[in-house]
Amino acid sequence: MRRGTLQYCVLALLSEQERYGFDLVRELAEVDGMVTSEGTIYPLLSRLRRDGLVESFWQESSAGPPRRYYRLTESGRIALDGFRGEWGRFRDAVDHFIARRTTS
Amino acid sequence: MTRSSQQLIDDYLRRLDRELEGLPRARRREVVEEISEHIDEAQAEANGDGEAATLNLLERLGDPSEIAAEARARFGVRVESAGVLEVAAIILLLVGGLLFGLGWLVGVALLWSSGVWTTHDKLLGTFIFPGGLALPLFIFTVWAAGSSGSQSFLEVFAWMIVLVGLVAGSLATAIHLARRMRARSALAVPT
Repeated sequence: MRRGTLQYCVLALLSEQERYGFDLVRELAEVDGMVTSEGTIYPLLSRLRRDGLVESFWQESSAGPPRRYYRLTESGRIALDGFRGEWGRFRDAVDHFIARRTTS
Repeated sequence: MTRSSQQLIDDYLRRLDRELEGLPRARRREVVEEISEHIDEAQAEANGDGEAATLNLLERLGDPSEIAAEARARFGVRVESAGVLEVAAIILLLVGGLLFGLGWLVGVALLWSSGVWTTHDKLLGTFIFPGGLALPLFIFTVWAAGSSGSQSFLEVFAWMIVLVGLVAGSLATAIHLARRMRARSALAVPT
């Protein structure tokens, strides 16, 4: 399940603003339980780019060589919106069964 | 950057590239490139070129086999699971040579026909050391039969070193193949 939902977390991060790959990875890795290791995010980014959900581009950096940035594409935005609705319903459905029922 | 830090990074990237074998070539290059960029950035940020900092950075990135397992899952590259044939390959490579050398050849055939190991592993398995434990045994037999009992201590000692080296090498290779088999098939858990 984590593997299936992680990609939407990446899309959500990119929906706020375009991000430098390194920062994106660090941010994801900092949330406990999200990824097993930083390196495993790169195959995901590669896959998302191939599917046309994100695109990367080079941007000059004030210090050092140009950096590879990622941004959401239009299909990425549509995929994210679709998942947001689906996730809300799914989460409520699961909660319905597994949340502790204090009244009964 | 110190020499050994650079060496650690080069080794890591080389290992990663090997592990990604089986992925479409463009994807393989892409993943290696981006991880290499990540390392450069982390090095610049840490502003430290110490070996400890580099080790720490590589540990955070994760083992290349783990990244490769993730890549195979993401790109739907079929994951081989280790079975009886892989176990047989390891055993035959080690002791199969004792069956007139034929067992070892069967082991080599099984090794190369398996999808679990990378080409690098297969080369190691084949050439360190051909014949497995049969080779040192054969050498020992020939040497014992040919020696007249008048060899110098130094000569005997040199022979022993060679034999122990061959035995240790064969055992180390078998252990390496077994560990790689477990790592590459156990980590490859489907979603």
